[in-house]
Amino acid sequence: MSRAREWGRAIPPRRVDLSVRIGSLELRNPVLTASGTFGYGDEYAHVVDLRRLGGIVTKTVTVRPRPGNAPTRIAETAGGMLNSIGLENVGLARFRSEKLPRLAELKATVIASVGGETEDELAELLEALGAEPGVAAFEINFSCPNVAAGGARYWASPSRLEATMRRLRPLSPRPLIAKLSPDVTDIRDTARACEAGGADALTAVNTFVGMSIDLDRMRSRLGRATGGLSGPAIKPLALARCHEAAHAVGIPVIGSGGVAGGRDALEFIAAGAAAVQIGTATFVEPGVAARVVDEMREWLASHGIARVADFRGTFAAPAAQGCAPADARELAEDRP
Amino acid sequence: MSAPAARTWRQCDARVRAQRHFGGDFHWLDLDVPPDFETPEAGQFVQLLLEPPSPVLLPRPMSIAGAVRRARSLTLGFLYAPVGTGTRALAALEPGSRVRVTGPLGRGYPLGRPGTPVLVAGGRGVAPLLMAADALARQRRSAEFVFGARTRSLLVGLDEARTRIVKRGGRLHLATDDGSRGLRGNVVQVLERLAPRLAAPLVIHACGPHAMLSAIARWATAHGAEAWLAMESVMACGTGVCRGCPLPCSAQARERVLAAGAASGAAALRGNPEWAMCCTDGPVFEARDLDWERVE
Repeated sequence: MSRAREWGRAIPPRRVDLSVRIGSLELRNPVLTASGTFGYGDEYAHVVDLRRLGGIVTKTVTVRPRPGNAPTRIAETAGGMLNSIGLENVGLARFRSEKLPRLAELKATVIASVGGETEDELAELLEALGAEPGVAAFEINFSCPNVAAGGARYWASPSRLEATMRRLRPLSPRPLIAKLSPDVTDIRDTARACEAGGADALTAVNTFVGMSIDLDRMRSRLGRATGGLSGPAIKPLALARCHEAAHAVGIPVIGSGGVAGGRDALEFIAAGAAAVQIGTATFVEPGVAARVVDEMREWLASHGIARVADFRGTFAAPAAQGCAPADARELAEDRP
Repeated sequence: MSAPAARTWRQCDARVRAQRHFGGDFHWLDLDVPPDFETPEAGQFVQLLLEPPSPVLLPRPMSIAGAVRRARSLTLGFLYAPVGTGTRALAALEPGSRVRVTGPLGRGYPLGRPGTPVLVAGGRGVAPLLMAADALARQRRSAEFVFGARTRSLLVGLDEARTRIVKRGGRLHLATDDGSRGLRGNVVQVLERLAPRLAAPLVIHACGPHAMLSAIARWATAHGAEAWLAMESVMACGTGVCRGCPLPCSAQARERVLAAGAASGAAALRGNPEWAMCCTDGPVFEARDLDWERVE
């Protein structure tokens, strides 16, 4: 019998406790918006009640403003999209003077995403922003696939990640969340390195490096040869990397990649994630994050699960369960 | 930059009211959106999203070609050619089908600018200019309407244009590359002939292929005319968040953004001196704000 069927009788949705903890960060529910897909926090405020979300992760800010990559920056693929935005952002000075005051007014938990080409740049950002009251936590973008310097490839080295986290950890009293690339040999190595360096949590994963070629013109559909693939197409890939990372470390992992509905989010929670992020789906449906919260609550209620925190990690991989003949028979019976 | 400011967009359900052929390979789609949907300006667009299962993931930006307010709805009209997966699926929708609409998005044409308005359409780029013609007629201003295409069959909705322009006191000027209708030549050649007969300054509002817009930009600069050009770009969100639809800023626009510094945050071009976003800084741009050498 599958684990989900062992839960109790249905309860009223309002009785479901969706709150979760990410280190010292308390979230009212486990649904966050992914960096780069929700602006600096207030762009969608007129169509989404931000108080219904667990939190928002801002666009990545870097020390200097970045104009971003040359067009074309977006290409649709089967079930997904490629982007090569290139960390376009206003830079630290304008982030502090213009964006932070607005973030502080939002009735939302704000996680600031920071990115750097070097350890020094990340340190400069955390020294400047680390104690800002409007920021509840920082997500350190170790995984942008679209920049020449300081991108996912640079941060693929576990030893570099560990050393950088060790330097950054004392610079802010807020939780530090390391966002990991899926494009590494073994995500458990980068996950453990960040944990060893002092990360309070991880986000798994950023976009996957992908390509699309227009054969008729024999050129990339993006301005660059490659971009970051996101959307429903990557959900199974992201779920596997999230599951691996979550089982390799003791700190919370935030799942990300192709979440577009409550059941998607719950798959990540079952795989071991403490929370999830929603990215590309917001471009399709600006209010999707709030809908995901509602759908999670409904599903948990219908299965008699009173606390989403109890559901975390409830999926046991077949390798751990063993594959007894009885299980195989049951699987066969499950088929319609 | 004095284009109208972007206003508040929303996402809602819409119903297909009618779908009809519009000549050649072109279709006209009427969608009923709820009455509280903001009335769009000519040049603005919406993102259209098909009901699942949809063959495409992302919504499609579609220029609005008409807006008719009724007691219980607002009907938006779209002129399009079913050429890709998304638009072919759109063409298959029957009246009564449901579509998700996000909008109205972007900045439209500044039709109230002082000067003589000249509307210039290239092929299917006529869509937002049909709506601009309606708006000018409501302002009781006569419009010069220049319509060009490679050949007569690509003068999309010519009858529609004639109805809207000529019957309201405007003048229609045609051009085709092959001479099959109107002047043998292009819209810039029409502008060249027309300009001496019109009161300066000319305020051109145009939409069409990139080569045409680029030529109009050069002509306007050389002749002291204003030109407001509706641009296209691949988009994801359509709302300025994803930063996916950049167009290169001119040196002049870059200087202005840099000089404005922090104050430019709420202004057009949003403070990025290198790139303007087609979705929120446009899709209608003043010609001098873009670097036409670098527009792809």
